[in-house]
Amino acid sequence: MTEMKSYWWRRIAGSLLVLFVVLILNFFLFRLMPGDPVATMLDPRFSPEAKAELSKLYGLDKPLSFQFLLYLKQMITFNFGYSFLTGRTVWEELATRLPNTITLLGSALLLSAFLGTWLGIQAALKRGKWIEKIVLWSGAVSFSFPSFFVQLLLLLIFAYAIPLFPLRGSVSVPPPIGFWAQLTDHIWHLILPVGSLVLLGFGGWALYVRNLMVKVLSEDFILMGEARGLPEKHIVWNHAFRTLLPPLLTIFLLSLPGIISGAVITETVFSLHGVGRFLLEAITGQDYPSAGASFYLLALLTIFCNLAADLLYGIVDPRVRFERRGR
Amino acid sequence: MMSLFRRWSFLLLLFIAVLSILAPFSLSVSPNQEVAPPFSTPLWLKRNLPPTMKITLSENILKKNIAWPYNPPTQIHLSGEITLSVPSALVLETPTQKFVLHHLTVGKNTFDIDGRDLSFKQRLNFSPFAQIPSELFSEKGEYIFRVEPDFSAPPEMRGTITFDIKGGRWGLLGTDQRGRDIFSLFIAGIRVSLIVGISATLLASLLGLFFGLISGYAGGWTDTIIMRGVDILLSIPILPILMVLAAYWGKGLWQLVLILSLFSWMGTARTVRAMTLSLRDSSYIEGLRGLGAPTFYILWRHLLPETLPLLLANIALGVPGAILAEAGISFLGLSDPRIISWGRMLHEAHSFGAFTRGAWWMLLPPGLGITLLCLIFLDLGKFLEEQIDPQLKGALKQ
Amino acid sequence: MIQIIDLSITYITPSKSVFAVNNASLSIPKGEIIGLVGESGSGKSSLLMAIPRLLPSNTEVSGAILLDDLDILSLKKDTLNTIRWKEIALIPQGAMNSFTPVLTIGKHIEEVLTFHMELPPHAIKQRCERVMKEAGLDASYLNRYPHELSGGQKQRAAIATALACNPTFLLADEPTTALDVITQREIVETLATLTKEKDMGLLFVTHDLPLAAQICDKIAVMHEGEIVEKGSPEEIVKNPHHEHTKQLVKALLHLEGEEI
Repeated sequence: MTEMKSYWWRRIAGSLLVLFVVLILNFFLFRLMPGDPVATMLDPRFSPEAKAELSKLYGLDKPLSFQFLLYLKQMITFNFGYSFLTGRTVWEELATRLPNTITLLGSALLLSAFLGTWLGIQAALKRGKWIEKIVLWSGAVSFSFPSFFVQLLLLLIFAYAIPLFPLRGSVSVPPPIGFWAQLTDHIWHLILPVGSLVLLGFGGWALYVRNLMVKVLSEDFILMGEARGLPEKHIVWNHAFRTLLPPLLTIFLLSLPGIISGAVITETVFSLHGVGRFLLEAITGQDYPSAGASFYLLALLTIFCNLAADLLYGIVDPRVRFERRGR
Repeated sequence: MMSLFRRWSFLLLLFIAVLSILAPFSLSVSPNQEVAPPFSTPLWLKRNLPPTMKITLSENILKKNIAWPYNPPTQIHLSGEITLSVPSALVLETPTQKFVLHHLTVGKNTFDIDGRDLSFKQRLNFSPFAQIPSELFSEKGEYIFRVEPDFSAPPEMRGTITFDIKGGRWGLLGTDQRGRDIFSLFIAGIRVSLIVGISATLLASLLGLFFGLISGYAGGWTDTIIMRGVDILLSIPILPILMVLAAYWGKGLWQLVLILSLFSWMGTARTVRAMTLSLRDSSYIEGLRGLGAPTFYILWRHLLPETLPLLLANIALGVPGAILAEAGISFLGLSDPRIISWGRMLHEAHSFGAFTRGAWWMLLPPGLGITLLCLIFLDLGKFLEEQIDPQLKGALKQ
Repeated sequence: MIQIIDLSITYITPSKSVFAVNNASLSIPKGEIIGLVGESGSGKSSLLMAIPRLLPSNTEVSGAILLDDLDILSLKKDTLNTIRWKEIALIPQGAMNSFTPVLTIGKHIEEVLTFHMELPPHAIKQRCERVMKEAGLDASYLNRYPHELSGGQKQRAAIATALACNPTFLLADEPTTALDVITQREIVETLATLTKEKDMGLLFVTHDLPLAAQICDKIAVMHEGEIVEKGSPEEIVKNPHHEHTKQLVKALLHLEGEEI
């Protein structure tokens, strides 16, 4: 198992490097804004005395290198300071929003993946039939529709024209009482957003899986499976699908960064209480601490997913563990 | 080549490009101007709503018939600058009534009357709270708008009188929340999508080509460093960084192009690098090296032409991404409000309550426009890929 | 005994139909090694693959393939699957990816044992180890993945897997292609030994006449889809009748210098 361990360590080291670069980027990004750099950290509405106090606290009078180390410490401990807009700590704001964003992204991704994978496999097994045509068509076309357009249309049709779903928000105002009522309310508000993401996403999945599956099914070892008298279902799932799993899992985790971008847009369209919309509000409202923290969190999520994809791939595809340096 | 010219996507793209270039010359008004009340529906819908119209009387045309099978308009406005030979009255004849809108004297007359003016209401003997347009246009039928002389002598007039009737319908695609014609906005928006989409992708491809060639050919530390850079850039979530950069470092078009290309060259770089790696060890490149050919020569004269077809396909396939990215940034409101783009139109539709008013005609054109452009480039990319395939196989065989 | 009677195989493509095998007849008795020799494109692999009905779906097969009294060509899929591997096992071409890359060798053998035979777990393990040994591989290779094995080792693993359910017949389709000469001989000898020990019938398809002559009881020569000559190795080499056989032998003797 040692080749596995060295593989893991190499991947983790790589991710830490990326994280470090992102931290540097984040540090300079919000400090190199045109205009007074101090304004990015201290609410301009504060009194001069308060500003002086906070200046000392943030080390703004100290050299840049000191500030950077202070910043590193803050980022690692998730101490993001106070929001200009709400006055609460940024962490508080993020903490209430993070679960919503994760729920949105997680369910959308899982549903797209399952639906897309199943459809892709069916399309590969029943070539030339209508299901393959749907997969080929939706896979090619779904990429072209801007997500916000589809979402606005869905809102128009299913929230305005036929008032089935709410027009905005993560929960009803005022929220209902009781655990199950709240849960149902929450789900009801998520149906259109998640639905739109699945609608936009399943096509790409299905096409990808179909192409992979068609390729795998033409491999020699599938023919050998038939030669061994194994039932067709067993060959499809335990041999073909099992071979698909490594690239599939990787794509699954690698698509998370992309869907994070989708979160920003989706949360904006549906006015959901999430980190993406918080980022937008922070940017347009010039709430630099919040913007910096949101960006950092999203970048962290991206790095984590990439790392998880790499590590999982190592478990699932044994061939990869033996890769040499310098592909 | 011929097959390209017959492809639907190419022809459509050509048509759209020509349209966007000719548009400023053919449109009579700047797209930014207000032409009708906000959220007017397109002319071909809701036929009972009156279209916004302008009735003019001038020189010898002193009478106009107005067919009015509609509901009352929302606003009216009367204006004119004329010289008249005899005293007259500006009259609106409904099927059952006759309203004297304004008295005209001999000589110069300049007037500018809004339907909400209290004095106007008083003159017509309506209460101050009356809605003039509803009162005037209360019935459906034939109306006559004319200059009626007080006595029998036919009047002679110089100048124009304009009767602005603001209704609920306008144009091919209606109006937005500022009363701007959506069709004109739609045509104007083509340019931004095309310009940003194509130039960002071109720039990204050039960057990718550059780094890919160098990385693949040089190998060693250069390769490692460049590939590490690629990994790092790929780990940064794209929309958030675009948002931050666009918001803070300039909302202009060219800044956007620059930012977009900085974060989309990585895919091309990887593909070019892979190709370079496979070609580098081919026998004919080795032969060139053996003959003492300088690196730059090999890269420029031999490796570059091999990668070019692949690059073209990559460009065509990358344009939709750039178009969607620009549209996304504009939709989030992070673009220059003075620049008309389809994404911006959708932003305004969303922010200014288009769908709480049911104004779906604000949503559909820009959204479909973006989709259509993306589909066109995807098809072109597919075409180019099909062209490469036999070539690619040929290149690798060496 | 496997009897192939008047077998014809046609590949149907959108542009044209290509016949691969034309009225071929051949018998594979239990306990004998039958060689099928011919150049590339002679139809020998198609003939072999027709027996367990593993030809692609765009082929037309006419004639009969009998396993004792059973007409294989008319069997239902379920019944066919009980025959495959239990009665007739395939040893694929040396260059093929015959193992699923994400599963261990052991998993492949366990699989066929689970589906074709009712054995308790520890019996399965025993059997796995035994067939590996018979094929000449150490039992530790059961836990290895296919890409960890060399070409020769993979073929031995393929032989082990084929032996798992004690089949009556083995079909070996160019099992030594892409292997070095020494490994070729070893594999071939292993096959011959096992076949005789277990009283199995072996159809050995190859383009290599001397290799076939080494172990076969009878050899059939195939040329352009037809079986042009049959006989014992000595007869084929010393007294070739058909033009093509003569050419094959001529090439062989040219290499070897004199008669075997």
